[in-house]
Amino acid sequence: MQPKQNYLNFYLIYIAVGLGLFGFSAVFALFGVYAERKVSAFIQDRLGPTETGKFGLLQTVADIVKLLQKELITPAAADKLLFALAPFIIFIAVYLGFAVMPWGPGLVPVSLNLGLFYFFAIVSIETLGILMAGWGSNNKYSMLGAMRSVAQVISYEIPAGFALISVVMIAQTLDLQQIATQQGILSTETTKFLGFLDVSHIGGILSWNIFRAPHLMVAFVIYFIASLAECNRAPFDIPEAESELVAGFHTEYTGLRFGFVFLAEYSMMFLVSMLGVILFLGAWNTPLPNIGVVQLANWTTGWGWGILWVSVKALALVGVQMWIRWTLPRFRVDQLMDLCWKVLTPLAFACMVISGLWRLLLM
Amino acid sequence: MNIATLIFYVLGFVVQASALTVAVSKNLVRSIFMFFVTLFALAGLYVYALADFVAVTQIVVYVGGVLVLMLFAFMLSNREVLNNLQERNSRFFSIQKVPAILVAVLFLLILVNAIIKADVDNMAWIKISAQNNNVIQPADNMVPNMGVNLMTRYLLPFEAVSILLMMALIGAAHLARKEEHKFQ
Repeated sequence: MQPKQNYLNFYLIYIAVGLGLFGFSAVFALFGVYAERKVSAFIQDRLGPTETGKFGLLQTVADIVKLLQKELITPAAADKLLFALAPFIIFIAVYLGFAVMPWGPGLVPVSLNLGLFYFFAIVSIETLGILMAGWGSNNKYSMLGAMRSVAQVISYEIPAGFALISVVMIAQTLDLQQIATQQGILSTETTKFLGFLDVSHIGGILSWNIFRAPHLMVAFVIYFIASLAECNRAPFDIPEAESELVAGFHTEYTGLRFGFVFLAEYSMMFLVSMLGVILFLGAWNTPLPNIGVVQLANWTTGWGWGILWVSVKALALVGVQMWIRWTLPRFRVDQLMDLCWKVLTPLAFACMVISGLWRLLLM
Repeated sequence: MNIATLIFYVLGFVVQASALTVAVSKNLVRSIFMFFVTLFALAGLYVYALADFVAVTQIVVYVGGVLVLMLFAFMLSNREVLNNLQERNSRFFSIQKVPAILVAVLFLLILVNAIIKADVDNMAWIKISAQNNNVIQPADNMVPNMGVNLMTRYLLPFEAVSILLMMALIGAAHLARKEEHKFQ
């Protein structure tokens, strides 16, 4: 009887973690939309939502309640099955990406020794969902939006992939939890600031990947730009360019299905920001170094602090994404492809070569 | 039967059922999306063979690459051609299908024959490996092993494949290029 009980607990914990992550992404999407509206209002010198709740805090909650009550309209000429399934495939692809994300020391849903590769694979399924939505809607705007989106995502996966490879070459592992551990005081190997100063016991911001090997700053910027393109966010939002395509691939969606598309978009924003934080910005490690007797890094490392640091850093990156969206105008298709193939891809290649040399000569 | 075995059989069933749907379905786009289910479940079966790297690669290459390209090719082609393709002879048996049936039956015979003759449970090299404890455990990290092998023992095939891909790329770029004299 005892082992069976253990099995049951084992599965119950997995289910609880899964539900927790789903709840997190739902709450994040709700307040992400609220934050987006407030940030855009601030940038455009407006007020944003103010009426519902204190400072308009309940505005998006009211929105989602309205969305849940709406009728699910399926266009008469749509491919009913593909049309109905697409939003769930898009969301599940993004949601599964959370499975390998470490939140703190010893706090990771699945510690997979292929973590980063798995992430890359599972997120690429989203493009299939988008094509499914575009084709299933049987609407020319949806179709064009889906094709633009896929062309863009596939192109930007190349510089993003090379930026990630240059981190992996420094870290020598694909396990995201190990990559996270290496960037702080819990690391079992020596960590060097800029390749010469031993900071294994100082930790803090000095042992983050972008400072361990400074060319990773370039890799980080490349990754961040590419991640904007993969989320289909401005200035890379040609897939849903309102002035040309109504709303792109999700033009025909209503009610709960539209809600899932939205949920996927905001979860994706958080997910790519969190991956950027894990790979480049010290993951769940504290930014505060140990200074002599003031053991700031030792005091602020732990699983509770881990969740705090990783969330704060990821939310800061999400904030930058919003800032960029409301500041820069949309790229044209040719500018988008020029940036990807003529600027980012060669730079990412250079980062990869430097990573190899760095690993051989300085580590 | 424990849960692992159960999931294995479910995956096996999904692979076969979806593959059959891909072949039978009259709607080409749905076939392609069904092919996604086949590939995904197949990746699950690779995990059961402790080849998780192959499983993830399968998803990256086939789902993220090949399937999307197939859909693109589909969406960029002429609607008339596609409609002709989708119009099928509804008779179950016709003379045009004889070669296909012949090839399928022969291939099945070869496969069954190979499986029976291989006698997987009693293969010599598997027994020797098991005796020498030269086996993979589920928790082993196979990525370094694979990298080292690719760069040492299998370097020549690896480079040959990369040259092949390079040739394909150059060919594609050449075909896609506009002829200059047309503009003069």
